[in-house]
Amino acid sequence: MNDWAILSGIEGNLAAYEAVLADIKRQRQPVEELYILGDVIAPTAESEQVIQRVRSPQQNEPMPQVCQGWWEEQLLILHGLGRTGEPTELIERYGITMVKTLWDAIPREMVEWVRSLDFGLFELDCLLIHGSSVSVSDQLTPDTPAMQMLDRLMRMEANTLFCGRSGLTFQYEIQQGTVTSSLTTLDRSNSPQAIAVKPRQVVGVGNVGRLPGQASYALYRPNSNQVEFRTVRYGAGKGFQRASP
Amino acid sequence: MKVAVMSCIHGNYEALNAVLSDIDDQSADKIYCLGDLVGYGPHPNAVVEMIRALDIPTCQGCWDEDIVEGLNSCECSYPSVLAEKRGKQAHEWTDQVIHPEVREFLAQLPLSLRDDNLCFVHGSPHNQHEYLMPEVDAFVALERVLVTGADILFCGHTHVPYVRSLDAGQLQIRVKSTGTTERDVSFSAPLKRIVNAGSVGEPRHGRPNATYVIYNTDADQITLREVEYDYQKTCAAIIDNGLPPIFAWRLARGLEFAERADDPTHVCER
Amino acid sequence: MQPLNITLVAGSIGAGKTTWIQQQVHTTAETVIYLSLDAGETAVDSTYLAAEVPGLTVLSAVQLANFLEHPTDGCVVYLELGFHIDLNSIILPDPMADCRRVAVLPPGTRHTEWHGWADVVVTGAEASITLRQPHLWRSALSGQVLDSASLNTFWYELTNGAYGTIQRAKGIFDVADGRSLYFDFVAGLPETTDMELNLPRWLNGRPDRFSGIEIVGEALGQTAIAQTLKDCCLDEQAIAYYQQQIKDLIEQGEEVA
Repeated sequence: MNDWAILSGIEGNLAAYEAVLADIKRQRQPVEELYILGDVIAPTAESEQVIQRVRSPQQNEPMPQVCQGWWEEQLLILHGLGRTGEPTELIERYGITMVKTLWDAIPREMVEWVRSLDFGLFELDCLLIHGSSVSVSDQLTPDTPAMQMLDRLMRMEANTLFCGRSGLTFQYEIQQGTVTSSLTTLDRSNSPQAIAVKPRQVVGVGNVGRLPGQASYALYRPNSNQVEFRTVRYGAGKGFQRASP
Repeated sequence: MKVAVMSCIHGNYEALNAVLSDIDDQSADKIYCLGDLVGYGPHPNAVVEMIRALDIPTCQGCWDEDIVEGLNSCECSYPSVLAEKRGKQAHEWTDQVIHPEVREFLAQLPLSLRDDNLCFVHGSPHNQHEYLMPEVDAFVALERVLVTGADILFCGHTHVPYVRSLDAGQLQIRVKSTGTTERDVSFSAPLKRIVNAGSVGEPRHGRPNATYVIYNTDADQITLREVEYDYQKTCAAIIDNGLPPIFAWRLARGLEFAERADDPTHVCER
Repeated sequence: MQPLNITLVAGSIGAGKTTWIQQQVHTTAETVIYLSLDAGETAVDSTYLAAEVPGLTVLSAVQLANFLEHPTDGCVVYLELGFHIDLNSIILPDPMADCRRVAVLPPGTRHTEWHGWADVVVTGAEASITLRQPHLWRSALSGQVLDSASLNTFWYELTNGAYGTIQRAKGIFDVADGRSLYFDFVAGLPETTDMELNLPRWLNGRPDRFSGIEIVGEALGQTAIAQTLKDCCLDEQAIAYYQQQIKDLIEQGEEVA
C-alpha cells in the first residue's frame, strides 16, 4: 500500500495548499491517498477558491478526502445546520463581528459542500479527524495527559488518531500500559485482573495555511506504520493575501 | 463517617421511603443523590418534595434535564423505537403532572458535586447521558475518574450497582515533536474507584428491590445495599395513574422500564 | 389414475403438527403439497414451510379445489387443521374421502375426540400448561417493517407473560435490514427459536409478502399486544433509511450481518 498525505488547516490559503500539493508530487514513494482534516476554509474570500481547488484535483493528484474542521462547523452553525444552535464559541474567540465576516466570506452555494463533509474518517485502524473523537474543538497537543490521549483513541477503537486542531506536528506514542481492575456486583465479586493496553498513537499533522511562507503536513506509510513530517517553504508574496481574523 | 449515595428514583416514592429508612438504620451521616428523580414512576412531585425537605445534595440526571429543557434527546439515546415511544409517553405524563416549583428545583441542580476526594455525577463526568457500564474498558473507566481529580467517582444511570477498583494504573509514552528532542514520559495513578449506586426506583438487576450504596470513609469500605419494599404499591399506582401497565410489569421483575442502549458509550453529538 | 395420497393433520396446540409434516416432507422424494385449512390472512405456518422446505408447494383453499379437479400424479398432500376446528364439522370434497387422518398429540393424551377421529396418533411434544379457555389471537402485519431491538423486547415480554398466559406464539416479521424472521415459542420449552427465513432481503419499500403473528393463550391483553406491535413498527422514512444503508453495504461488497 502506498503512502498517505494527511494535512489540516489550509485556512483559505491557496498558495500554501499549492505548495503542499507540489511537495506531495515530489515524493519518491507515490502518495495514493490525500486526507484533509478540516479547516479548509477561514473567514476569507480566498476560501472559495480553495474549496474549488480541493474539489477539482488535477489528473495526477489524488482526490482529497475531507472532513469538517472548526471553521466549517462554525459556518454550519451560522447557517442553522450545526450540532448546536448558537455560535457561542465563535463569538467567544473572535468577537461578534466575526459572525458577519464568516457569513460573507463563504458563498451560500459552498455551504452544501461543507455540509456534506464527514465529522471524521476511519481508514484501516486509523481515525482521521480535525479535533478528536470528542469534538471538533478538542485540541490534542504533545502535552495532553496520557490518559486523555488514550481515551480519545479508545472512544473510536482506533490504533492511530490523526488530528489537526493544535496545528502542531507531533507523534505521541502510547507504548505500553497496565491497570489492575476488580469488580464487585450484588451477586459476584471478581478477583483483580491485570489489563494491558496495546500500543497506540496520536499524530498531530501540522497546519498548512496559518503561518505565511511555511506549511507543514504529515506522510504516513500504513504498511510500516511510519510517520514523516514535512515542512514546505514557499514564496509568501506571490498573490498571497490574508485577512487577519 | 458513613456516606449514603443513591440514584435514579424515577418517581417511585415507595422505594425512596424504604431506602431512606434503611439509610437511617445504617446510621449514615450524609446522603448524596445522583439525579433522575422523575420519569416513568407515578410520584415525581412527592419524590422531589422529599429530597428537598431532607436537603439532600443532588446532581441533575438526564430525566431531570429533559423535564426542564423539554425532550431534546435524539433517537440515538433510545435503544429501540419501542423504548423511544414508551420514554416519550413517560415524559409527557411527567411533564403534565409536575408542579412548577418542582420543575424550578430540577432546573437548578448541578451536574456534579464534590466532597473532598469524592465526586458525584449522574452518568459520567463527560456527559450525564453516558453509561459507565461495569464492562467498560479499564483505561476508559480510569480516565473517567482521573478527569475529576477525585479518588472515588460515584455514578448511577445504569441502574445496576457495582464497585470497580482500578489499581496501579500506569502508561509509558514517547513524544516526538518537530523542533524538540524525543522524550519518554511515564504516568502512574494510585488506586481509583468507580462506584455505581444502582437505582432506588427502577432497578435492573433482575429483582424488584431498591439498591443504593454506603461508603464508610474511616474503614474505606463500600457496601452495596439491596432493600425490599412494597413494589406492588408502586405498580398499582402506575396503573391507577394511567401510565402504561407494561411499566408495572417490568418494575415487578427488576427489568427497568425501558431497555438500555446497545451501545451504551454512544453519546449523541447534538 | 392413482388415488390421491392425502393426509389430514390435526392435534392440540403446540404438539408439533407443522413439525411433523416437515419431517414427513424430508423423508419423501415426491412433490409435496401443503395447505393450512384455517390460515386465512395469517399464514404463519404456510409461509414458514414454503420458505424453509424445498420441494413443498403451499396452496390456498381455492387453489386446492382446482388441484383436486386436475390432480398431478405422484403428489403427496398434507392438510393441516387448526386446534380449534371442529373435526366433525369438516366437509371434505369427494376425491378426499379416503384420506389418512393423523393426530399429533402430547404424550399420555387419551380419550379425546382426536382419538376417535384419527387413523394414526403421533406422539408429539409435551404440553407444559393446559389452558382452561384457550384463545387464539392473530394479526397480519404484511407491509410492516419492525425495528429488531423493539421486536426482541416485545417478544421477551410476550413470552414471559406481560400480556397474559401464552401457550404458543409464532410469528413472521420483516425487520429493518430486509430479512424476514420466524419466531417460535412453546410454553415449557427452554428456548424460543428465532431464525431467518430463506427469503431474499426486501430492500425496496414496504415488503409485499406475508408477515404476521399467531398467539394461543389465556387472558390475553389484545389491545396492549396490538399497540406494542404498532410501536415496534418503523415509519416510511426510517424504512427507506435502513434499506438504503443495507444497499450501500451490499454495493461496497461488504458482508451484511
